[in-house]
Amino acid sequence: MAKTILEVKNLKKYYTQSKGLFSSLRGNVGIIPAVDDVSFYIKEKETMGLVGETGCGKTTIGKTLLKLAPATSGEIIYDGTDITHLSSREFYPYRKKMQMIFQDLDAALNPKMRIRSILKEALTVHHKLSKAELKYRIDDLLEKVNLKKNKLSNFPNELSGGEKRRVGIARALAVGAQFIVADEPTSALDVSIQAQVVNLLKDLQKTLGLSYLFISHDLRIVELISHKVAVMYLGQIVEMGMAGLIANEPRHPYTDILWSSLVDKKSSEVNRSNEENKKAGGGGFDFERPLEGCRFAPRCPVYYSKNKPDICTDPSSSPTLRDIGDAHKVACHFPL
Amino acid sequence: MSNGPVLAIENLRTYFFSRSKQAFIRSVDGVTLHIEKGKTLGIVGESGSGKSVTALSTMGLISAEPGVIIGKIGLKTETVQKNLLRDLKDHVKINMSTGRIMSVYKDSLGWQKKINRLMKGIRGKEIAMIFQNPKLSMNPFSSIGKQIAESILLNTSISNRNEAKDKAIYWLEQVKMDSPRLRYYNNPYGLSGGMCQRAMIAMALSSEPSLLIADEPTTGLDATIQSKIVDLLAHLKTSFGVTTMLISHDIDVIKSLSDNVAVMYGGTVLEHGPARTILTSDYKYKHPYTAALLSSIPSQEHIREKKKLQVIEGDVLDTINIPDGCRFFERCNKVTDKIKEQCEHTEPDLREVFPGHKVRCFRFFRT
Amino acid sequence: MKKYSQISIKVSDFSEVPFWKKANTIDLICVGYGLTIFILVLVSYILGATDFLPGDPQKLNLALLMAPPGTEGHILGTDFVGRDILSRLIIGIQAYFLPGLLAIAISLILGTCFGVAAGYWEGWIDTIVTYTSNLLNSFPRLVLILLMVAAFKPDIYYIMIVVGITNVPAVASLVKGKIQFLKQKNFIEAAISLGLKTRSIIIKHILWHNCRAILIIQATLGMAEAILMETSLSYLGFGVQEPTPSWGNMVQAGSNYFLQGNFWPSTAPALAILFTIMGFHLLGDGLNNILEGKRNK
Repeated sequence: MAKTILEVKNLKKYYTQSKGLFSSLRGNVGIIPAVDDVSFYIKEKETMGLVGETGCGKTTIGKTLLKLAPATSGEIIYDGTDITHLSSREFYPYRKKMQMIFQDLDAALNPKMRIRSILKEALTVHHKLSKAELKYRIDDLLEKVNLKKNKLSNFPNELSGGEKRRVGIARALAVGAQFIVADEPTSALDVSIQAQVVNLLKDLQKTLGLSYLFISHDLRIVELISHKVAVMYLGQIVEMGMAGLIANEPRHPYTDILWSSLVDKKSSEVNRSNEENKKAGGGGFDFERPLEGCRFAPRCPVYYSKNKPDICTDPSSSPTLRDIGDAHKVACHFPL
Repeated sequence: MSNGPVLAIENLRTYFFSRSKQAFIRSVDGVTLHIEKGKTLGIVGESGSGKSVTALSTMGLISAEPGVIIGKIGLKTETVQKNLLRDLKDHVKINMSTGRIMSVYKDSLGWQKKINRLMKGIRGKEIAMIFQNPKLSMNPFSSIGKQIAESILLNTSISNRNEAKDKAIYWLEQVKMDSPRLRYYNNPYGLSGGMCQRAMIAMALSSEPSLLIADEPTTGLDATIQSKIVDLLAHLKTSFGVTTMLISHDIDVIKSLSDNVAVMYGGTVLEHGPARTILTSDYKYKHPYTAALLSSIPSQEHIREKKKLQVIEGDVLDTINIPDGCRFFERCNKVTDKIKEQCEHTEPDLREVFPGHKVRCFRFFRT
Repeated sequence: MKKYSQISIKVSDFSEVPFWKKANTIDLICVGYGLTIFILVLVSYILGATDFLPGDPQKLNLALLMAPPGTEGHILGTDFVGRDILSRLIIGIQAYFLPGLLAIAISLILGTCFGVAAGYWEGWIDTIVTYTSNLLNSFPRLVLILLMVAAFKPDIYYIMIVVGITNVPAVASLVKGKIQFLKQKNFIEAAISLGLKTRSIIIKHILWHNCRAILIIQATLGMAEAILMETSLSYLGFGVQEPTPSWGNMVQAGSNYFLQGNFWPSTAPALAILFTIMGFHLLGDGLNNILEGKRNK
């Protein structure tokens, strides 16, 4: 049995939003629960896909794991050690084990640095290397990510999207990371380049034994690359399980909608009627609205088809993730 | 008989000048396509293939220089029939060498004036456009209803404000906006992306255009919203029969909405024909690029067996260095020894291989 | 008709087109002019410092009062006590060159520190820096300088310290703005996740790679500012005192004779001020357009 490389327990990340100039003095601060009580674990050489709509907190999870944003509460356990409350100095050795591939292609690359110095920097952060070693390692990296050697002396803005993404991956590998948070690695790329990157990530997993947290809204690619998938809605995981099960036998109504909207681009019965929407406050997605009971209820077809059962909007009984067999967990009172 | 295509673009070339590289960016380099009345033409292509620039050239909205330098855009509707690039030659002089355009003299100001005169009564009225980013394309300080009503007053025979308001609400209903009477007073920033896109579509349709250009209408929206917008466009297509030019990089969107499809690559059309046949994976007679594009999208089979995706090697063609031969030659995996020489050195024409299906590839015709 | 032509068919991947080809002609002219002025000032400063002058700036020549320009031995003529104007112009650079550099150094160093603090850590530091700079900006600079002169003595170095300090808010807000812009592109976040030390992120990624252009530009503008300040104060009699020559007090001294028809003792330094300040401004402006790519877009 492969060992668990990362475990997240009850992770919460709240952002505060000040309302007006003196709001913080009056204690009048809006709280946005970007990530609200999320737990999952990732095993070695495993890929976990994280899907959800824009703004549901996917990226925030990734950033919190890497301590780019401090967690509000909860535990993040990397390889047996609780890293949630480490100071930045204590966390330093973990930086070389955990890396992130950023969504924005240009993000990771300082626009005024040549590719060679970007890679060199990444290689020398944690290790002291001689010139010859450095050259060997750079060549090795280029080969791993399948990048042409003559691109080394270019600036990032002279590369194409796919090449930038490769440099981003090379940079994460340079440190020697074993666990990589891939935040929408394919979103800004063309279809033909997407396939190259997905294949590259899969190959690297095979040869280097990497583990990924693969964040994406492209469901098909998530399904293709991941071993297990977690579906997020409004900061919470609503369903989690093996990729095939989630895609083909979804139990949560939201997952069902998400997947069926993908197939042939035809939406299923999400036709929420207008009047009911108005009562539910316009439906859709709003962190600022107080959340009572199931967060998905205002958009949920099951909720309406069952004539709005009270349990769905009861503040005291928001659905929790429960196991329904085959390591398949779902947070719904009435799973499909 | 006013048969014949509503829009026929012939050999359109729109270039930009890159100061830093001292070279032309051949964004649109010889595009030929046509849209029949009541049909939807889908334009697929990767970024930089010139899809959007083709649309903007049609609308006369290219402001960077030198811009449109050659070509013909024939618009033929019930009321108007003209070449939107008429007298372009008076403003442009081109020097060719070895089959390439090496230098261009263009009187941009004069051309800009001319195009504004030509497009009067066409832009917004005969041709309407939906942009990729609806929030940026609407005035943030005015309510969506007012903006639609304004467009109605400007572009249709309605001249009464109250009537225009009623009509605007009618169109908001048509795009399935919930509670259109209330939404009429909403400002764009108060709406979600999907709602804003609906308002944008309502605005485009409100002038009852002969041609609708939709530039990436679903990009940047969430999957659930995307599918709703696609549903809406499909619904509008059946109920109003608007002639549409639909631009998208998402093949699924194109597949479910278009009658015909034009596959663009490196500033030119590689394939033009019926969408239903070209975009199915079993159909054999298609351009290698189209085939590769289709196979690089994960299919059900791929996912089930966790197979590796088929990739197109190499990178998207950069339109500064356009090769002599076929634009797809370097990435093509279907070159046979017999035609290799030809592929490398001469560019194939866009030729009809079946009725209504044109392909730019030597595999289908040999000289 | 405007011409666009492709120079080479094969454009390689490297940005081998030199930057002066990418730049606008006007910017190049500005920078060229500015650099000429800068070199002229630098050479003159060295000449003055090594006492390598065409004549003695302090030597009175009562036989040659108000000699017009072109007089033998005195190319720009002599002033009302017969001193060589050219030599005095050259030695006048001493009055502002080093003090100006001091002012630039103060404003750049302090401004960068505050700018980085405000832009990188944000929060209360940002608030303090913003309000301090507002406070400093709302206080007339001339009044501050006059207070300084009244409190101590009319020394150009004291004045330039004040000039430098009052320039700090401008530099700080510029650096802060740049950092906030860079933070949006989140390569800083990427550098943190790579495990780079904060110090090296700030110095290498932010300041060296992305802020050096604006700092150079700010330095040239700061020099122009310093010259302007020095000359106007010397003109008013608060800066460099006679008999030490400065362009400001030369204009002042010469102006008494201007209406008598002897225009050159005041006109020569006035033109020197004009062309020098213009040079530094154009240099800053041109560099801004070329290095930051303002006009190409």
